[in-house]
Order: sequence, then structure tokens, then C-alpha cells
Amino acid sequence: MSYDSHTIDILRNSKYAIPVIQSFHLFGITLLLGSMVILNLRLSGIGLRQIPMALLAKQVWRLAIGGLLLAMASGFLVFLPDPARYAANYAFRTKMVALCVAVGFQFLIYRRVIRSGAAESGSPRNIIVACCSLTSWFLVGWAGRAIAFLG
Amino acid sequence: MSVVSWCHWLQNTSWATSLRQSDFFFPLVEGSHILALSLSVGLIILLDLRLLRLVLPSERVSKIMNQVMPWALPGFGIMFVTGLLLFFAQAEKVYTNGYFRVKMLVLVLLGINALIYQLKFYPAMAEWDLSESVPRGAQVIAVTSLAFWMIVIACGRLMAYEL
Repeated sequence: MSYDSHTIDILRNSKYAIPVIQSFHLFGITLLLGSMVILNLRLSGIGLRQIPMALLAKQVWRLAIGGLLLAMASGFLVFLPDPARYAANYAFRTKMVALCVAVGFQFLIYRRVIRSGAAESGSPRNIIVACCSLTSWFLVGWAGRAIAFLG
Repeated sequence: MSVVSWCHWLQNTSWATSLRQSDFFFPLVEGSHILALSLSVGLIILLDLRLLRLVLPSERVSKIMNQVMPWALPGFGIMFVTGLLLFFAQAEKVYTNGYFRVKMLVLVLLGINALIYQLKFYPAMAEWDLSESVPRGAQVIAVTSLAFWMIVIACGRLMAYEL
């Protein structure tokens, strides 16, 4: 094992380590999904229309990345002590695939769209992009919640 | 009848039992409760961060409030309804859980915090809305809100463990 096994022992043996890390996972999710709701309400033209898209694209994007990094770092620590169990869990596998799709979409397509001038209006293209973004992120969330129910 | 025995009766009503035992509806309600955090607390974070001038400092606070609240309030509505259903389904276990009690207490404090904002700072908003600075008191309310929501989320998560 190349991992620091001392860290894994703490995660495995402490009664509070994983629950506390799970709480930070939820802080990250709240920040990430909250930011995505804000950006997509604005992009689709459904809400927050009085706030300029250029400002949200710059500043709320940062919050989204912060939330994503917190969720990924805490998620990795939850995964670390019990990798075999997670790897065998279909909800976890679905979550990882959905996460790759969501992150890929976010950085390859979404970022360009919200930073282009055309993002100011709720055009059909913007509505489709907003739907894809929200769907991919909430799929990650639902798959994550399903991990506990699929044992 | 004591509260515990009322909780016992509540969670053993036929509909609370079927919700608890449903392989579909219980995960659906629980998942909705967690993911609606994005619509409720996720949007309040934007307002709190604006009061601290950490995001969108060039936009008026009143404008952010007007734009965000129509979405945050239904978000809190979903949280309340799904939370109530989750309580009904597991009333006895939840009522005796220490983290649940802390969560409820902090939610009440958050209500008082929001009320202070509405009564003390909201009416005079026009005076400081346009200026560069936010009153110190309103900033304290924003920090309190952020910290208390973190406690609420953590307690909600910790409730699920046998600690």
C-alpha cells in the first residue's frame, strides 16, 4: 500500500472521524449544488435576471469550484478506509461516472457558455445547457444518496 | 401522554409505518431533504456572502435579496415538508437523538437571527444598500447565519450515526 496507513487507521477506528468528514462532504455539496442552481437559474433566464451573468460567471463559479474541491477531498477520505466496499457498490460506480460527465461538461462546455456574451439571454441553447448541467450534478447527488441504501 | 409515547404512537400509525418501510418513498423523501439544501441554504449562502462583501460587492444587497428569496423560500418549504415526513416516520428514535435536539434549537436561533435582520436592518436598507459598507450588525448576522447553518447540516448528518 502506498497510502499512509496511519491515516487510514484513524479513519477506520475513530467513531467520529467518518461522520465529521461526511458533514464536510455535505457542506461542499450544499455550496456546489447551490452555486449550480444560482448559475443555471440565471443562464436559463428563469431567475436572478437582474444580476449580470458576467459577475455570476466569475464569482459564483469560484464558489462552485470551492464546493467541488471540498466535496471531492472529503469524499476521498470517506472512500479511503473502505475502497473495496465502495467499488462493489453500483450506486457508487454510477456516482463516479456521473461525476466525470458533470465535471467534463462543466469545464469543456459550460464554462465557455456562461462566459460568452450570449449567456445574458435565456435562449433555447442556454436552457438546454442549464438543464444538462443541473441534471448531471443532481444525478451525482442522487447516486451518492443511493450508496447508503444499496449497502 | 408523554412526548415519547406520542412519538411512539405517531411512528406506528399505518401511514408512518408504510413510509418508513417503503423502499422507494423513504429514500426519495430523504434524498429530497438533502438535495433541497442547494435551493434553501445554498441560496442563503449567497446573501450572507454578499453581506460580508465576499461576492458581488458591486450589486445592491436589496437586489440580491429580491432575486434570491423567491427561490430560497420554496426551498425551505421542501426542507420543512420532507423533514416533517422524516420525523413522522422515525419519531421515537429521532426525538431522543441529541443531535436532532441541537439541530432544532439552532434552527430556532436561526429564525431569531433572521427576524432581527428583518426588524432592525431591513427597514433601513435603502440607507446602506448603495454605500460601500454594510452595517457591522448585519455582518454579524451574516456570520452567525453561515456558522449556524453549518451546525444544522452537521447535526442532520450526525443524527444518522449511532454516536
